[in-house]
Amino acid sequence: MYNSPDVDQYLEGLIFAINDEILPVLSTAKAQTTALMMQAVLQQLRQTIPVYLGYLVDEHNAMLEVVREAAAALGDAAGPEADRIRERAAGLGTAAPLPAPPVYGDVVAAHRVLGQALVDDARDLDVLQRAGDTRADAALAVLRAHWGPRYARDLATVTVGSGFLGRG
Amino acid sequence: MEQALAEFLRRHHPDAESITVAAFEPIPGGFSRETYRFDAVVCGPAGEQRRPYILRKDPPAAAAILHTSRKLEHELLESLRANTAVPVSQSFGYELDPAVFGEPAMVIERMPGSGRTSDLFNEGPDADQVDDVIRHLCELLAELHRADVSAVDPHGGLADPRGVGVDASSWERYIETTLEYYLNGYDGIGYDPEMFVFLDAMQTLRRTPPRPLPLTIVHGDFNPANFLYANGRVTALIDWENARIGDPREDLGWMLTMDALSNTSVLAHPRDEGGFLAYYNKLTGFEVTPEELAWFSMFATINVAVPVASAVGRRVRREHNQFLHLYMVAPSSGALIGFAQMLGYPGAA
Repeated sequence: MYNSPDVDQYLEGLIFAINDEILPVLSTAKAQTTALMMQAVLQQLRQTIPVYLGYLVDEHNAMLEVVREAAAALGDAAGPEADRIRERAAGLGTAAPLPAPPVYGDVVAAHRVLGQALVDDARDLDVLQRAGDTRADAALAVLRAHWGPRYARDLATVTVGSGFLGRG
Repeated sequence: MEQALAEFLRRHHPDAESITVAAFEPIPGGFSRETYRFDAVVCGPAGEQRRPYILRKDPPAAAAILHTSRKLEHELLESLRANTAVPVSQSFGYELDPAVFGEPAMVIERMPGSGRTSDLFNEGPDADQVDDVIRHLCELLAELHRADVSAVDPHGGLADPRGVGVDASSWERYIETTLEYYLNGYDGIGYDPEMFVFLDAMQTLRRTPPRPLPLTIVHGDFNPANFLYANGRVTALIDWENARIGDPREDLGWMLTMDALSNTSVLAHPRDEGGFLAYYNKLTGFEVTPEELAWFSMFATINVAVPVASAVGRRVRREHNQFLHLYMVAPSSGALIGFAQMLGYPGAA
C-alpha cells in the first residue's frame, strides 16, 4: 500500500480541490454552503483518523472499569435493575483490555524504511545480475514474490470503477 | 483571454475587419495540457465566417506533466499535414510568451468527429462502428510509422524533444540512452517504495533488449482516448505533444497498457484481421511478436510514467496543489500490477 500520499494527504487534497476548483464555479448559495460543509467534514476526518483506533481502544478499556465500578457503587441494592447492572459488570466488565494500537505515524515511517530497503536491494541486485551472478536472480525472485500479492491486494483495495475519469 | 485569442488570430486573418471569440470553454480530460474550445467569428471582405478552434496551453511549470515545446508540436502538425495522409489539426501557430495566454500555448483547428471513444466499446452507442474505426486507426498508425523521418522532422527536433540526453542516431543508442534517462529519473518518481516494480522493469528491460527495428516517428501517446471518429472512420489523431523519434513498437506497447487501464479493447480489433497487432504486421511487415509487445508496453509506459510520476511526486512534496495528480495515483495502480504480471511476479495474476 502506498504510504505517500497517505490518507491524510488525499483528504487535504480534496479540501484544496473544493476550494480551488469547485467553489469558484458554484452558482448557488446552497451549493456553496454544501461545499463548505464537505470541507469541514473532510477536515474532521483528517483530525479523527490518526487517533480513531487509539481512542476507541482507550475508551473501551476505560468502560471496562466504569461498568465494574458502577456495579460496585450499587453495593447490595436490590431489584431486577440492580441485578442486571451487576450481571453486566460480572460479564462484559471482566473482558480483557484491548491492546493499544500502534501510532499511525510510527507505522507509516517504519513501513517506509523497509520499503526503501527493498528498492535499494533491487538496485544492488541489478549490478550483480549484469555481472553474471545467477544467485542474484534467485534473490530478485524473493523480492518479486513479496510484491506480487501485495500489488494484487492493493489494486483490489483502491480500485473504483474502471479506467481514468476525465478521458474520452 | 478572448481578446488575446482574437489578437493572435489576426496574424492569420490580416484582411479581417473584426474577429470575435465566442463560446470559449475548457475541455475536460487530457491530463497534460489545459485545453479550451472556442469559435472565432471572422468578418471580412468575404462576409462572416465562424471557425472552430482549440487552445492548448501549458499548465503551470510545477504542475506540468510533460515538458515539451508547443513550437515543436506546431511544426510537427504542419509537417504531418504536408508529408502524410494522417489526419491532424491544422496548427495556426504558437505563443511562447506566457504574458499572452498565461503560459506557452498554441492554437489549432478543432477537428470534426466524436472524442467519446469509450462509446465504441462495451456495447456503447457506437459499438457497431468499432471494427471499421479501429481498422482505420491501425492503417493510420502504420502510415505514421512508415513516414520518411527526414521529411517529417527535417531539423531533428523530435530526436530528443524533452532534452534529456536521448541519442536517436541508432536504434541501439536510442534504447540505451532512453533507459539511462528512465533510470536517472527513478529518484524523481520513486516518491513511494510502491513504485518498486518500475525500477525492476527499467533494469530488466536494460538486461533483455529486443531485436532492433528502424526508428520512426512515434505518436508517443497513442491510446484509446487520443483520436476522433465519425461514420466508421478516424477523423483525427490528437495530442501530439509526446511525439518523437522512437521505436514503432512503443506506440503499440502504450496502447496495450492504456487499453487495459481504460477498459477498452482497441487491440482486439479489427476482428476479421485477427486483431490490431496482426493487421499492423500485415500492413508494415514488422512482424512484432507478443513478447516484443510486452517489452515495449513496459518501455513506453515508463516513458510516460517518468514525467507523470515526477509531477505526482512534486504534488506529494507539496510543490503544487493540483488535485488531478493525487487522483492519478490510484488508477495508475493498474500499471503496477500489469508490470508485475509481465515480469512474472508470483501472486500478481
